[in-house]
Amino acid sequence: MNNSPIIAARALIKRYGKLEAVRGIDFTVERARCIGLLGPNGAGKTTTMRMVSALSTVTAGELMVFGVPVQKMNRQTKAKIGLVPQENSLDPDITVRENLEVYGRYYGLSRATIAERVPRLLEFMQLESKTSARVMQLSGGMKRRLVIARALIGDPELIILDEPTTGLDPQARVLIWKQLMELKKQGKTLLLTTHYMDEAQRLCDRIIVIDHGGILDEGTPEQLIDRHVKGHVFEVQKPLPNDLADGRWDREDIGDAMLYYVQSPPDILSELPDDAVYLHRPANLEDVFLRLTGRKLRET
Amino acid sequence: MSVAPQSATYTAAVTWRQYLVWRKLIWSSLATNIANPILFLFAFGFGLGRFIDTIEGMTYLAFVVPGMIAYSAMFSASFETTIGSFSRYYMHRTWDATLATPVTLSELLFGEVVWAAVKSLLSALSVLVVGWIWGGIPSLGGALLALPVVFVASIGFACYGLVATAMARGYEFFSYFFTFWVTPMFVFSGVFFSIDRFPPGVQVIAWLLPMTHLIAVIRPLSAGLPLDLSWTLLHLGYPLALTVVAFAVAYHRIRRRMFD
Repeated sequence: MNNSPIIAARALIKRYGKLEAVRGIDFTVERARCIGLLGPNGAGKTTTMRMVSALSTVTAGELMVFGVPVQKMNRQTKAKIGLVPQENSLDPDITVRENLEVYGRYYGLSRATIAERVPRLLEFMQLESKTSARVMQLSGGMKRRLVIARALIGDPELIILDEPTTGLDPQARVLIWKQLMELKKQGKTLLLTTHYMDEAQRLCDRIIVIDHGGILDEGTPEQLIDRHVKGHVFEVQKPLPNDLADGRWDREDIGDAMLYYVQSPPDILSELPDDAVYLHRPANLEDVFLRLTGRKLRET
Repeated sequence: MSVAPQSATYTAAVTWRQYLVWRKLIWSSLATNIANPILFLFAFGFGLGRFIDTIEGMTYLAFVVPGMIAYSAMFSASFETTIGSFSRYYMHRTWDATLATPVTLSELLFGEVVWAAVKSLLSALSVLVVGWIWGGIPSLGGALLALPVVFVASIGFACYGLVATAMARGYEFFSYFFTFWVTPMFVFSGVFFSIDRFPPGVQVIAWLLPMTHLIAVIRPLSAGLPLDLSWTLLHLGYPLALTVVAFAVAYHRIRRRMFD
């Protein structure tokens, strides 16, 4: 039982009318892992997470959460999931503490359990000094930390985080990263979306890249980098030197310049003339992401 | 734990949340609850009442106070599950957050409805107290007996509002609800005069409105007059049936909107 995946999707489809938001994806999330769903806006990440949380019906295919089809998810199973939605959805009129207490009741917890957990969670997210503040008075980073604390009130086994750090300052992000790593160490399973590649690289054991409702590739950050952008990137300004203009290179045209992906720097350095204008850096997940999903702007 | 008491626990959690928010705004809420009936009773009881001696065997004030009790309860519930619920659903997204927990949609909606009815009861009680001090309640015992009836009817008013919320795409939509549902009840349900004065066709419309039936029950109660049993059962049964239909319609529409 302990080895069965927490989430298992097979040929999972979600349609909104004629629009197919998720087009038959397969993926699994294993216990005590952090899995990242990466993709541009409108790729189907949020829809997938909402289906896993039983907030959105499954159109077709199979989605098992804790070994049970989501359509049959009961209260006990629902209580094992904590959701951090993209929009904060806090109660603006009541205090920080009351927001957690109300949520504790929604999870069916006893007064004693709530009284014990609330201060612990406020400390975990460093919100102790704001206990009695109204949500309206909080900064963006504090609100986000409160939403995470709220998702933890039921002591969930699976935590679903939809862009947990979007729009936050570096200090808040570092704190959230640290606490998410701590949760993973405690054996919690995390499913996360983010637009920050450094965040994905730091937190995720495995990354699933999705776009237009389908999976493009998945693997560890290292595997993905190795597979799609090798180890190094050379950004060479146009006009290109003759030796670099032919087709034997793994390269990508980005307009004013050409990107060359190479395994080891000496391969290309020997071909670069002295007067070439270029930038050399280690390849990262952002390169993978842009290469897989394209560079065109998404307007959705 | 069996299913029903468990459901009640989660419904109560939703209602408790509404109470917490209401507590923060208690003074403005109480002020409007007490000031509104005083204004209305002053204008109608004192102003209009001077031209009317008795109506249906009671003073005009005794006639209009139960009408105002019904109206304030109806308005309060209607407001709570339209503007109030829609804000939670659409603006603050707290419904979304609630449904991510073990609370189910029917528990969430019923929690909203119960709280709206509690607020209605408070409004009704305010009018009752003001009307009683003013001398517009010949039978205080009867009027207090009317309060549970007001509560049940308000569950209905809350459900009708929820249907509007289920259809609304923005706040503008509620102007239809208030113009074509709330205001007609204010005008046609017999708050200010007996509906026998209307031509027969209009009387039919009046009897279709649930508030007409509420007033038909609580007016004799507060006046200390006898109730006809079979008519009373009809006055209670018809709105109750309407309530069940409204809740089912609201539930299915909202379910489709949120989950599909």
